[in-house]
Amino acid sequence: MSEVSYGEVIDYSKAPPLVEGNPTLSKIDDSIAAPSETRPSKKYFMALGVTLTMLLIGVIALGYTFYYGIGMWGNNIPVAWGFAITNFVFWIGIGHAGTLISAVLFLFRQRWRTAIARFAEAMTIFAVMCAGLFPLIHLGRPWYAAFVFPIPTQHGVWINWNSPLVWDVFAVSTYFTVSLMFWYIGLIPDLATMRDRTTNKIKKAVYHVLSMGWRFSNRHWQHYEKVYVILAGLATPLVLSVHSIVSFDFAVSILPGWHTTIFPPYFVAGAIFSGFGMVLTVLIIVRKVFNLEYIITMNHLDKMAKVTLLVSMMVAYAYLMEPFMAWYSGDPIDWYLVLMRMTGHYALGFWVMTTCNVFVPQLLWFKKIRHNIGVLFVISLLINVGMWLERYIIIVTSLYKDFLPSAWHIFVPTLTDFGILIGSFGLFFTLVLLFARSLPVISMTEVKGVTEGAHPTHHIGAEHE
Amino acid sequence: MADFNKEHLLKELPVIEQNETKGQHYWKSLKQFYNDPSSIEAKAHEFMEGVVDDFKLSSLTDMSRRKFLALLTASASFAAAGCSTYESKGEVIPYNKEPVGVIPGVPNYYASTCTGCSNACGILVTTREGRPIKINGNDEHPVNKGKICARGQASILNLYDPERLREPMKKDGSSFKNVSWQIADAAVISALRSAASGGKEIAVVMKTLNSPTAKKVFDDLAARYKTVKLYSYELFTDANRDSAWKKSYGRGKFPLIAWDKAKLIVSLESDFLGNEGNTVEQTRLYVSTRNNKELKNFSRLVVFEAGMSLTGMNADLRLRLAPELQYDLVMSLLNEFVVKRQTSRYALDRNVVNALQGYSIGKFAQTSGIDPKSIESIVSYMARYKNASIVYAGDRLPEQVHIAVNLLNEVLGSTALYRKDRLRAEMLPYSTKEEWEALVTRMNSGKVGVVVHCDSNPVYHLPSGYGYSSALQKVPTVVTLDQSASETSVVSQWVLPINHDLESWNDFKTRTGFYSLQQPVIYPLYVTRQKEAILLTWATGKESAYNDDLYHGYLMSRWEKEIYPSMKLAVGFKEFWYSALHDGIVNFDEKPESHDGFNAEAFVSTRSSMKAGGYTVALSESYFVGDGGFANNGWLQELPHPVTKVVWDNYAAVSPTTAKELNVDFNDLVEVEVRGNKLKLPTLVQPGMADKVVAIELGYGRTNAGTVGNDVGFNANVLQDANGSFTQWILPGAKVSKTGGTFELVATMEHHMIDDSLVKDMQFNRGIIREGTVEEYQSDPDFIQKEREDSKPTSIYKDFEYNGVKWAMAIDLNKCTGCSACVISCNVENNIPVVGKDQVKVSREMQWIRIDRYYSGTPVEPRISLQPMLCQQCDDAPCENVCPVAATSHSPDGLNMMVYNRCIGTRYCSNNCPFEVRRFNFFNFRHHYEDSYYLEQPAPMVSNPEVTVRTRGVMEKCTFCVQRLVQAKQDALQEGKEFTGSGVVVACQEACPANAITFGNANDPGSGVAKLREHELGYYVLEQLDTKPNVTYLAKLRNI
Repeated sequence: MSEVSYGEVIDYSKAPPLVEGNPTLSKIDDSIAAPSETRPSKKYFMALGVTLTMLLIGVIALGYTFYYGIGMWGNNIPVAWGFAITNFVFWIGIGHAGTLISAVLFLFRQRWRTAIARFAEAMTIFAVMCAGLFPLIHLGRPWYAAFVFPIPTQHGVWINWNSPLVWDVFAVSTYFTVSLMFWYIGLIPDLATMRDRTTNKIKKAVYHVLSMGWRFSNRHWQHYEKVYVILAGLATPLVLSVHSIVSFDFAVSILPGWHTTIFPPYFVAGAIFSGFGMVLTVLIIVRKVFNLEYIITMNHLDKMAKVTLLVSMMVAYAYLMEPFMAWYSGDPIDWYLVLMRMTGHYALGFWVMTTCNVFVPQLLWFKKIRHNIGVLFVISLLINVGMWLERYIIIVTSLYKDFLPSAWHIFVPTLTDFGILIGSFGLFFTLVLLFARSLPVISMTEVKGVTEGAHPTHHIGAEHE
Repeated sequence: MADFNKEHLLKELPVIEQNETKGQHYWKSLKQFYNDPSSIEAKAHEFMEGVVDDFKLSSLTDMSRRKFLALLTASASFAAAGCSTYESKGEVIPYNKEPVGVIPGVPNYYASTCTGCSNACGILVTTREGRPIKINGNDEHPVNKGKICARGQASILNLYDPERLREPMKKDGSSFKNVSWQIADAAVISALRSAASGGKEIAVVMKTLNSPTAKKVFDDLAARYKTVKLYSYELFTDANRDSAWKKSYGRGKFPLIAWDKAKLIVSLESDFLGNEGNTVEQTRLYVSTRNNKELKNFSRLVVFEAGMSLTGMNADLRLRLAPELQYDLVMSLLNEFVVKRQTSRYALDRNVVNALQGYSIGKFAQTSGIDPKSIESIVSYMARYKNASIVYAGDRLPEQVHIAVNLLNEVLGSTALYRKDRLRAEMLPYSTKEEWEALVTRMNSGKVGVVVHCDSNPVYHLPSGYGYSSALQKVPTVVTLDQSASETSVVSQWVLPINHDLESWNDFKTRTGFYSLQQPVIYPLYVTRQKEAILLTWATGKESAYNDDLYHGYLMSRWEKEIYPSMKLAVGFKEFWYSALHDGIVNFDEKPESHDGFNAEAFVSTRSSMKAGGYTVALSESYFVGDGGFANNGWLQELPHPVTKVVWDNYAAVSPTTAKELNVDFNDLVEVEVRGNKLKLPTLVQPGMADKVVAIELGYGRTNAGTVGNDVGFNANVLQDANGSFTQWILPGAKVSKTGGTFELVATMEHHMIDDSLVKDMQFNRGIIREGTVEEYQSDPDFIQKEREDSKPTSIYKDFEYNGVKWAMAIDLNKCTGCSACVISCNVENNIPVVGKDQVKVSREMQWIRIDRYYSGTPVEPRISLQPMLCQQCDDAPCENVCPVAATSHSPDGLNMMVYNRCIGTRYCSNNCPFEVRRFNFFNFRHHYEDSYYLEQPAPMVSNPEVTVRTRGVMEKCTFCVQRLVQAKQDALQEGKEFTGSGVVVACQEACPANAITFGNANDPGSGVAKLREHELGYYVLEQLDTKPNVTYLAKLRNI
């Protein structure tokens, strides 16, 4: 965990500080609260303008879809799923890093998570909101979407529990609920701080209501810590289950390229991978813009990069296993699909995906690269691209050349498809921008707990215990 | 015109509201709709006495719509009431009292005759509440025997085509204005009179005439106007074969072939299974020789052809041969048998022997590039199956080839297969090239006073070399009688709308020994008249002579006077006539004309060299839009071409080698030039074509067909050349060049290069197609079952037990020729929408059954496997368990059901269907296609009321015609009988001329389908997936 460089005395026993520069507690509060207490800059509004435009494009594309039908998309028979489900899986995946960081790392007492947990969790919620849209809008008749819920009717018509899409409904809604609760509970002390800091009456009233009468009393803290750990415990299995269930959408089918048992772990790894990619992308910007480099330190980025490298290799393993199993099974249909992925109509997509998800992250072996913000940023962007393509390749290539050659047909996305994709990014970043200016993007209370002075001890390196 | 219905509704609605509020009679008097009070009286006499004795129109002063409907459907066949169009009769109101002969919800069936082409097959029309909704073959008809081709099936859509002509029109400057029939008739009659008195010709141009009564009408017309001359044409005719016959045998016509008795069929550039002659009959007879139970009589089909035709697809041995070399082939074969083997008495005929000098099989093999072994094997077969083989040359080959073929058939003893029971009948011979040229000359010199186009479109059809359309401008009066606008109608002064088949009376005689009757099943929808009635009115010389019953009466009186007496029946005429109409067929004794022996002199005189340089253009008729007459029929435009699977277009098909030579690929535009006539059209690379041949289909590129048919494809009619060195349709010495630019052709199957090693033979490796040879089957009847062993999965689950009826289907791939009649039958039965070229391009066609075509072998010599693919109704259907809302689930009788109103459109079922037979309503296709063209009245009337019209966002698929199954069950329940599932016929099965489809109850051991499920050749597609399909395929056997 320690830095190694020539010409320095190396102290392996001591980890670098989680918050740099030993700031005062009030400085931490000031700098975290600053974005919501100062007037946004012109640049902020420009950024918001861009994301809102993207959102508007999405709304228009959606309007066309609702008015004319799914025919506005590139979907066809055999490729009955296209961009919408790709986007769904992509956004669900993005959410996973947040839960992993906030819940799993919390349970494992990884204290470095505090600096990034809040933002990652917020991203989880926004990503799941984006994701949740797609199963709804991809329906041929979205006005009957309520049919997927087990609502008792006089006719006795019931949902089909065998269908992975029904499991999805429950998995995603549970995930969203738990994530929202977890995020909100964690926010309460900070909301109280904001309430106490603000002089604006309206803001005060809002923070007042949201902070639910938090008074920083010892009893409050006791309850808070218990609830937080319980919710972390609840959220942790969701990290594994949600994307496993999403992967069942494919694994449960009989299609070559979908019908594989490796899918659940493969999808979970992919989700964490893409999530970390997105967290890196956004945090690199946020820490710079909001001057939070001393809280979200280089060390944090380094750690995230290492996690990214690890899950990248898990993803790479899955990429290797897929063709291996296809070959080993001796099934000519599976094997043909593998060859088609590598050499067929979507070969470019496949190789860009492999490059972005497997080859490029290997650069993270090098510390110099992990510590080079520019390169890290580019790598994180490429991971986002690669992971979107991964879902696209999985969905489209398995469908476009399946069992009967007579039915083969390629999928060509339309402008409406791209419009909706852009719109979902517009929605996500609009929400991120609004969040960044209205709520503390880092947990003030938790960060204070990981400053150097917070844990006075005479045992060197005790911080790690 | 398109908005007539909306306007009409707007006009009508307030009237009814007013009536209700004022408490007046809800039912409006029909009388007030009548424009002409005098016509009421005339109509009182339109029914046969005795049939409608209860109804006296004149006494029904306040006639209700109910009574009107009672009249409309009064008896089993005389549904002819009222006077003006149906929509002027007010809103459609459900019956309060049941009219005689009509039970709501129960269809009525009427026998009639289809005139979609010149074959005039017998049809049985299904009507619901007075509305025809489906056309099937008439079982009683001796030719088509209960089956009808794709065109005939789809012709019902033409009846309801919103763009049909509705009123007579007169040219007014560059546009047309509506006129009354009186004005139009008066004007035409005076023009005819002045032409006749001025000694100017009255040219009546029609297509094939095969109604004896209509012939009499023409005779009447000619008797009244002395200068009447009749002309008849067809885009493709068998005139060359017939003239060759006449030269060879002195008189008569080429006989019908007993295909069902043939052991060896050698087809020379003939598409007898596709679009030459009566393909429904020929398919049935041919397929009867492909019975896997009678291997001894299993025929062998050898095809020599240039393009890849439907017949070629089915060949056991298909050899690529340029059309010019067909003559050499026949001569070489003759040389082999007559000169070399001396197996014929013609070996003594010096003239014949001399003519055959210089031809030999070896030499032919060299010039044609065909493997000599193939030819030798054919020769040995010919020798072996003496008296049981037939050599059949195509319509498009020149007379001399046909004469040589006649001799070859004599030599081989194939004349034994010439049918003696019936002969084709002819009312009016096709006009010859010389006649057309003379007509055009007279037209140009002002010697033609009137041209009447009688349901014909010569401006579009005739070879441009005749100069017909420019000559037409010099004719003072041009009258066109047609159902819808055409290239000819727009250059006419008078356009008179005529009845659809289903609104007409007639009789037809296509062969000796029987008449086929045509009766209307619906009152004319518009102010149209039957074309014979129009001519008859003119023949009387008085426009007032017309009444609705004119031709009907004429037809009946001719039958009463001329035909009925000769029958010498014990029953009265009326009974005879009703039973004739009921059957649709009248059989009588008629001995076919005999012919003389073969005249060898005819043969000798034909020797000439036929080799030519350059490219050869081979024109053929479109399989589905025919000569272009069906261009405005969306179902047919969207029906995939049997070979190439291209929809909505024609193209220049070339072999892969020729494509390379021309440096073109799919969609590249090429310019084809034949003796100055040029045409630019896209290329399609067709495996198995002869090199240096360009095959183009006619019937496309219409400019005045209507919204659907306009500018679909390219008008290759312009390439026809009546003065060509070969024939009008096969044009050697053409120039073909790449022009640059592309035009996208759209097909329902992707073009896979069949030499791509990854895709090659995939249909076999994946267990989609299983086939073998007759020999293989003979030596090891279980060879398919042995193949199946590998892929048979095992399951740890117990199968669901189906008690009672379990529906299943079996398709004999041995019999399926790929004619696609099943696809259209399914379209009509199940209200399948037309989606248009743009949607087929993105693979959203909606047909529930498709015919998959797979190539194997090499691109040069491919073999083709066909497979009708529809929902397999799997027992363990993968689509069912993935639907979140249980919109697709299984019925206790084994159906994979689709619940439209529960479906939310996740499309997951389609993804998980290995057969990709599910269809999704990506749009509301009825709105989407051409600005709601098929929602314009009266197009929606074609819909089958038993089948839901699916909305946007809903998945659909083949249901095994569940509406028919439920109906059958209901009927059995009502009659208190046990339901065994026998006797139920599904739409595709009903249409299949080859009887390749068997349907029924798999749990009934006596049912046909249960037996076929246990057949040695039976297998399931993609069996390894263990979805337990219920469509059994019987492997194809090739007789190689």
